[in-house]
Amino acid sequence: MQGSAKCIVSLDNFNYFRAPITTGTSVLGITFDGGVAIAADILGSYGSLARFRDCPRVMKVNDNIILGAGGDYADFQYLKDVIEQKILEEECLDDGFSLKPRALHCWLTRVMYNRRSKLDPFWNNFIVGGMQDDEPFLGTVDKLGTAYLDRHIATGYGAYIALPLMREEAEKKPNMTEKDAHKLLVKCLQVLYYRDARSFPKFQLATLTRDGVRVEGPLNVEQNWEVAHLVRGYL
Amino acid sequence: MALDVASDYYNFSGPKTARFNPYSENGGSVVAIAGDDFALLASDTRLSADFSIYTREQSKLFRLSDTTVLGCTGCWCDTLTLTRILEARMQMYLHEHNKPMSTPAVAQMLATMLYYKRFFPYYVSNVLAGLDEEGKGCVYSYDPIGHCELSTYKARGSAGALLQPLLDNQIGFQNMENVTPEPIKMDRAMAILKDVFISAAERDIHTGDSILINIITKDGIKVEKFNLRRD
Amino acid sequence: MAGLCEGGNEPPGSLRAICKLLFDLLALFIERFMPFQSFMIYNGGAIVAMKGKKCVAIAADKRFGIQNQTLAFDFQKIFEMGPHLFIGLPGLATDTQTVHQRLKFRLNLYELNENRRIHPKTFASMVSNLLYEKRFGPYFVKPVIAGLDPKTFEPYVCNMDLIGSPNEPEDFVVGGTCSEQLYGMCEVLWKPDLEPDDLFETISQALVNAVDSDAISGWGAVVHVIEKDKITTRSIKTRMD
Repeated sequence: MQGSAKCIVSLDNFNYFRAPITTGTSVLGITFDGGVAIAADILGSYGSLARFRDCPRVMKVNDNIILGAGGDYADFQYLKDVIEQKILEEECLDDGFSLKPRALHCWLTRVMYNRRSKLDPFWNNFIVGGMQDDEPFLGTVDKLGTAYLDRHIATGYGAYIALPLMREEAEKKPNMTEKDAHKLLVKCLQVLYYRDARSFPKFQLATLTRDGVRVEGPLNVEQNWEVAHLVRGYL
Repeated sequence: MALDVASDYYNFSGPKTARFNPYSENGGSVVAIAGDDFALLASDTRLSADFSIYTREQSKLFRLSDTTVLGCTGCWCDTLTLTRILEARMQMYLHEHNKPMSTPAVAQMLATMLYYKRFFPYYVSNVLAGLDEEGKGCVYSYDPIGHCELSTYKARGSAGALLQPLLDNQIGFQNMENVTPEPIKMDRAMAILKDVFISAAERDIHTGDSILINIITKDGIKVEKFNLRRD
Repeated sequence: MAGLCEGGNEPPGSLRAICKLLFDLLALFIERFMPFQSFMIYNGGAIVAMKGKKCVAIAADKRFGIQNQTLAFDFQKIFEMGPHLFIGLPGLATDTQTVHQRLKFRLNLYELNENRRIHPKTFASMVSNLLYEKRFGPYFVKPVIAGLDPKTFEPYVCNMDLIGSPNEPEDFVVGGTCSEQLYGMCEVLWKPDLEPDDLFETISQALVNAVDSDAISGWGAVVHVIEKDKITTRSIKTRMD
């Protein structure tokens, strides 16, 4: 971490700050009866260019934790390596204990906060999901270290587009099943695909229940452009 | 001086990136009212930024001991960090002195901790409420860099400006004629607390959803919840 | 950067280049040292108006100051525009007076043309029009209007932003440097159908307690209670610090 390039560069007396380069858009997380699910598409955008079409942003951390990331993809890959190393070292102890979601969430909070305090943040939004004490856990951390837990979390444009849909559905159905949750996430990703210009029709879906972790994908967003023929005024 | 600034501005050529802002304003309001043998501390439970509601159930109150509770609003990441360090220092005091820290002692420590970060401050408005060594209710309020004031009631946070004059009037008996100021009773304090939060939720978009009230007496801390408008 | 002459590099020293530089310097100067918000807090002041039962009240503080220096305790911010019509103009003091004079002129013209008293709602439109005419170089006042319908004596209150977007609520309106404090007070104290005496007490408490937590408002206050056949104007004592 120490050895990385000096990130605040002085150029003509003007300090500019490291900005995100290859980015991922929204991440969605949801809790249901006996588990959590996290979904995100697999596009790595380069500004407005849809440049990398296979960037998995949802990962299994261990049998108890799943993690989704938005924002700068390089920062995510770096932190992914660090987290994987942590898990590896822990497995080597072979003491039967494993990292729990609240612990990882808390750790991420500190890492993100420390970097923002150096004015050189990791430009990410993370969603941590897991089971803690047999209860579903869903938390998020952003580039400042702002962290909170909730039953539904969406980052980026998802906070404006998907989160209202998720909250509305939860009001109707307080105890969602795994199937309901999947259906809702897929619906949200579809709406996001239609409305968020940095999104992509291929996505990953990670589910964590008492039975373990399942990371599915790439799956496809169902598309319907019938109405496109009716659009007038742009030609 | 204006010319100097302007010429630098014109000679510059190169990539322009908005400077990273390490702070955010996550809203929320805190109100504390102290009586002769109790202290009330209440916060709303909405965590927000700009026009987004992050979550509707985030308490902004931190129980530091059986007689002391801290309420924080402002930059949430700073709140998390500050309260984490504060809790650690409470533990260290407990183990060193074999007794919990008194409310005035916590108040002084908090001021020191805030001032320690004078030139990169915790962007947090703190209100510390509790019972002092005599069991009397007390409220300490802070600015982000550690100025500390002792009072009997205080409103802080995104709706602080809306609430404080009302407390001055109803609890501090400001601009009232033919009344003798007296310490407030618990039931009246609770009624005022709920009233002011209802009005705050009416006009401040960063305050709402519900409030959590911590009732601090010599018998311990009771928590009460009260719903506000959610729009 | 938005300049007067966009596009292409001007040869140094050319008239266009000099124009561009001067214009941009001016824009930069205005942006750096005179942000619009600063005009609204240059003199300070607070105004509130409330509806009651067949009556309406409007109240203002009396301070005149320049930034943190208080200069007078008798500055008029509320103006009588008719038998049942008042307007309060909090904001930049020079604009308070200019806008009042220009409104008085237009109102006189209206009443001579029409040969009748103006309706408060019509008056609000007049204020709104006057302000919007200066859309891109506004008067720095946020008007508060209170009045009774000249025929039915229905209460009416209205406030606007500095470019004339009107707001006509059913309860109360506020304006000035401590509008947040006023909102907090009014939201709790105001009740529907207050009688004139209770309305006076309510609006006075709302204003006085609000200005006490604002450094550039206060130093005395004036309250007008407007009823069908009576206008009561009272000066109230406040803290003078």
